[in-house]
Amino acid sequence: MSPAEIGSLAIGALVVLIAVGMPIGVGMLLVSFIGVGLIRNDVVAMRMLGQVANDSLEEYLFAVVPLFVLMGLLVTTSGVGRDTFDVFQRLLRRLTAGLGVATVFANAVFAAITGISIASATVFARVAVPEMRRHGYTRAFATGVVAGSSVLGMLIPPSLLFIVYAVLAEESVGRMFLAGVGPGIVLALAFTATILLLAHTRRPFVFSGGADTAAHEAVGAGALARKVIPIALLIGLVLGGLYGGFFNPTEAGAAGAFGALVIAVLRKSLDRRSFWNLLVETGQITVSVLFLILAASFFSRMLALSGMPQALAAFFLEGPVGPYGFLVAYIVLVLLLGCLIDSISIMLILLPIAVPVAKAIGLDPIWFGVITVLAVEMGLLTPPFGLSVYTIKSAMGDADLKVGEIFRGAMPFLAAMLFTLVLIILFPPLATWLARL
Amino acid sequence: QETISLTIASSHPTVVPWVGMIKTHFMARTDEILAKGGKYKIRWNEAFGGQLYKANATLSSVEEGVTDIGWVFSFLEPAQLPLSQVSTNTPFTVTNVPVLLEVMETLLESNEAFRKEWENHNLKVLGLTATDLYDIYTKKPLTGIGDIRGMKLSAPGVLGNWLRGTGANAVDGALTTFYTDIQTGVSDGVLTLALGALPIKLYEVAPYISRFDAAAAFSGAIAINKDSWDRLPDEVRNAMIEAGKYYTVSHGEDMVRLHEDALNKMVELGARQSPPVTIIPMPAEERQKWVDMLPNLAAEWAAKLEGQGVPAKAFVKEYMGALRARGVEPSRNWDEGL
Amino acid sequence: MKASSSSMSAPASAARPDWLRRCWAFVVDGLAALATCLIGILMVIICADIVFRNVFGASLPLVSEIGALLVVLIVALQLASAIRADRLPQVEVVMLVLSRHAPRAAAALKAAFALTGAAMMGMIAWATAGILAKDVASGDFIGTPGLGTLPTWPFRALIMIGMAVAALAFASAALRHLLDAVTGRIDTHEPG
Ligand code: NA
Ligand code: NA
Repeated sequence: MSPAEIGSLAIGALVVLIAVGMPIGVGMLLVSFIGVGLIRNDVVAMRMLGQVANDSLEEYLFAVVPLFVLMGLLVTTSGVGRDTFDVFQRLLRRLTAGLGVATVFANAVFAAITGISIASATVFARVAVPEMRRHGYTRAFATGVVAGSSVLGMLIPPSLLFIVYAVLAEESVGRMFLAGVGPGIVLALAFTATILLLAHTRRPFVFSGGADTAAHEAVGAGALARKVIPIALLIGLVLGGLYGGFFNPTEAGAAGAFGALVIAVLRKSLDRRSFWNLLVETGQITVSVLFLILAASFFSRMLALSGMPQALAAFFLEGPVGPYGFLVAYIVLVLLLGCLIDSISIMLILLPIAVPVAKAIGLDPIWFGVITVLAVEMGLLTPPFGLSVYTIKSAMGDADLKVGEIFRGAMPFLAAMLFTLVLIILFPPLATWLARL
Repeated sequence: QETISLTIASSHPTVVPWVGMIKTHFMARTDEILAKGGKYKIRWNEAFGGQLYKANATLSSVEEGVTDIGWVFSFLEPAQLPLSQVSTNTPFTVTNVPVLLEVMETLLESNEAFRKEWENHNLKVLGLTATDLYDIYTKKPLTGIGDIRGMKLSAPGVLGNWLRGTGANAVDGALTTFYTDIQTGVSDGVLTLALGALPIKLYEVAPYISRFDAAAAFSGAIAINKDSWDRLPDEVRNAMIEAGKYYTVSHGEDMVRLHEDALNKMVELGARQSPPVTIIPMPAEERQKWVDMLPNLAAEWAAKLEGQGVPAKAFVKEYMGALRARGVEPSRNWDEGL
Repeated sequence: MKASSSSMSAPASAARPDWLRRCWAFVVDGLAALATCLIGILMVIICADIVFRNVFGASLPLVSEIGALLVVLIVALQLASAIRADRLPQVEVVMLVLSRHAPRAAAALKAAFALTGAAMMGMIAWATAGILAKDVASGDFIGTPGLGTLPTWPFRALIMIGMAVAALAFASAALRHLLDAVTGRIDTHEPG
């Protein structure tokens, strides 16, 4: 067997193992170990395994993972998300389907202080859905809006997905963050347009009863200001610090986590016990992400040894398919995997193969990264495994609520994402302009 | 004709000149020599640019056979390759890169402790690499070395030592972080190389290049795993030794030329930005002032190594002596007062 | 990632004596608690570095090097706990169907996966022992002589211990699933 054949077989074996339910990281370690053993020998395979475990995560940048996760969980418990929603609810109360639009805007703003989309989904499932139900929106629509707009959390910086992409594609994290801003705004607008369109053409999908007569909570100007201040401070701290001249991404994570901690303590939303549990949860999420990165490093090193990516690049470069054929095939693959696996796993499985190919055939890595993140995020809304949908289901704690109902409600937003994806493919400057400024 | 498969790898991409030259000079020359003999052919499996390992594992990856051949970045291995740090601990001594490489090559043959520190890692050195010259890149123009007092300057790991005693604060960084460090105000300037500054577009954010021509430094070697080496036929080994020598020499000459090219290119590319890229040639007195401000780095360093049983004092003496013998006039006699 | 995992501790196999179970829980939870503290420490040292640099104009030594090694350490120390809580990302569709129709086969498959995990983690621990021995022998350190250094071996030893305990956690899970497969007991360890 030639090394390239071993590489291809390893990919095939990995797909099968993952499909039947082996933990993805373990599957990657196993096929990579056997692959290197066959390409070189068992001694080298063993040494590479040890090296990967000890050096692949030894990177200051990776410290952002626990820090942004911690920050996300802290702002979730301290009610910053609820306040953001209240502000937009108040501002948009006269608009048709204004609560839906308020959810989207609140999510877009909340996205600027959280790097994980499950934080957004948790917060707004608890805050926005009950309020929308009270005002006569259907359950499918209310939960669908939350599921859809939660993806903004990973598109608008800071974003764990862009960090992972930047690491795997050797791009600057700061640049990838900037690249997400344009598409994030476009997607938020696309969501808004979708909501307004639905409210006018598909009323029964949006509203269950007659006219919305429920009263809006009266929020005075002073209270409004008090609600705006914490999130404004946090955004100023994290993004202002990052782009305005004080920190690198890792430090932005640390400062953000600390700022969120201060807010949580001042608001008395943390006791010692819940703070410890929150730290434990941070650790668990961190491990599940970083262990995958570790395993994926071994997988990509095995592939590099096999020469498979070069062969694949040659195929797309010289074959009849061409760069756009590659891009379409890649997106379809991402969407298919998105039905089954979580976002970070998809990136860690595909990017070691796809990034060298994309670079070889001359695709702009920043643009490619934005396309990847957006396509991967669509998986949050697709059945059977849609993480945002499941997060909403578990955050609502409503036994009556069927997962299928949320998936149905999220469908229009999935369509809006597809539309945005096509837009970015056709107009790359949407993603690259700000990043290359 | 027999085909031999060899993996060749690096942590850095081929756009970095000394990595690119592995391909254009070392591999090409090896192929050329072997083609003349006609008996052997090498099928190179290239894994440049960190595909197999990162900069934190360049030595162990060759040592353990993860790759057959690789560029070992000695800067990042102070614990494993102590004597190889000699040039960074005796700064402002040599600016002539070919001479520096020639001296290191001789020392590798004549000084047993130095040779052993490489060979003990289960590898055979084929060619050597060095940096081009270090200068200071800043947001605001400098009039002399005194101006860096109180400034925050990014510098990669070891080179933080070159800022001790100057009153500047060293901010740890790497080529990948310098641009954003400056842009975001993490630092006010960078102590770095023209060849590193050009590709990362450092001049866009730090347009004032104070040309101190501080020094060049020994940065590492192309090395082959000893087990892989032992398996190669004599003809291939001889071809590689010759190709390695050719690589070292061409690399030294190219560094000098590329350094000037890179400086000119930055001036050209940054001519229309505001403020435009400006090279400020620093007079010899300013350079001398800088050297004199430094603590006795060589003595500090050598004493520590002697404590661990590494004959560093003798090595500094041999190194400085060999440089002087080739006409180098050190700005500070680091070998005195060890 | 999983959406959530309500149970932090897995039901241990009935076959194991109580003292062993408590001892084991102590080790796994202890390492996880240490890793949890390290996350807090990570935040604090990075914030301290920001303050020092922006207020006093100087970087603290070793922050980026320690930060980088702490990341490896946090993962190694927390891995066993994540394995026990079944928090490693996986595709559950096939397994859910299989559990319903052929619970014994599902348990056997899970046992095989856990055994593979035990083998991989065990080999990582073993390889790390080799790296640890080398670090000790050569006095390997992080940082820059003259500016501040720290030996790497204590970090390495903790990484090795974490990986070894992770291997045991996988082995313990394998044993549990194997017992389920033999006795035909329905797997009660459904996450979420
Ligand atoms: Na975000
Ligand atoms: Na999905």
